[in-house]
Amino acid sequence: MKEVELDCLGEACPIPLVKAENKLKEMEIGDVLIVQIDHSCAMKNVPEWARKEGHNVEIEEVDDGEWEVIIEKVK
Amino acid sequence: MDEPKATGIQRSSTRTKRVRKKKKNQLPFGIAVLVLAVLFGIMLGTRNQGMPIFWITGLAFGYILQRSRFCFTASMRDPFLTGSTSLTRTVLTAFAITTIGFAAIKYGAFVKGLPIPGQSYVVPISFATAAGAFMFGVGMVIAGGCASGTLMRIGEGFTMQIISLFFFIVGSLWGAHDFGWWKLNIILKGKAIFLPDIFGWIGAVVIQLLIIAMLWIAADKWENRKDQKEFT
Repeated sequence: MKEVELDCLGEACPIPLVKAENKLKEMEIGDVLIVQIDHSCAMKNVPEWARKEGHNVEIEEVDDGEWEVIIEKVK
Repeated sequence: MDEPKATGIQRSSTRTKRVRKKKKNQLPFGIAVLVLAVLFGIMLGTRNQGMPIFWITGLAFGYILQRSRFCFTASMRDPFLTGSTSLTRTVLTAFAITTIGFAAIKYGAFVKGLPIPGQSYVVPISFATAAGAFMFGVGMVIAGGCASGTLMRIGEGFTMQIISLFFFIVGSLWGAHDFGWWKLNIILKGKAIFLPDIFGWIGAVVIQLLIIAMLWIAADKWENRKDQKEFT
């Protein structure tokens, strides 16, 4: 199992989502992707997209206005 | 509501042990800001009766916008980018509610024989509307937010969008400077349509709500169509 961090701090809304989408495509099933974001909009659409795709998702607020979206690729 | 269920994702031990900065308690700041907001509202009230209403409405709008993660940009962009239309449908629902609210306000003034408020916003519609909307759409997706979204995110502390704010101001000033020419040569060539003039008050509300409902259903279908494609 691999764990990949994706630094999207300071990136505005659709970019974290697009980056996460591309990164997750390269990864194997069972790998974990950690997307670091500080744009509140991405806090909504990244988890929503990942859940819709059927992956396991957790959100952690690591600091005020800074989140980690943890995505486990399941398929 | 949107709190994640404990899915129990295994993470490597090195990460979870990482020392986190202790979060500062923001409650004292919150109370201080609230007190200042109330004082500022009272100060505005002593100068102008209407101002506190604008102040409170603005603060409430910003608060709801931020807490709900409401985003007009995402509502137009996500259907294409991710196939998600939850925000699209939220915006449509908001439009439906304001349709009823605005119709009530306008009709209320109309039956009393008072001048209908907000009629100056009934402006001619033409190809310029579509062209402007398209340009605005491209701009807001690149900037990462529409006007209210940009302001809200700067308030949140997302510094990159200060660039958006700067050019938002530049663009607004430029637009205001040339607006007279555009109005005279392009906009006034269109035709202003006030739906109640054509369909009557009830008809206008019903037709508008029907169109919104149709868009809502289309958005819902769009989202589920994508789902079906993935699972088959």
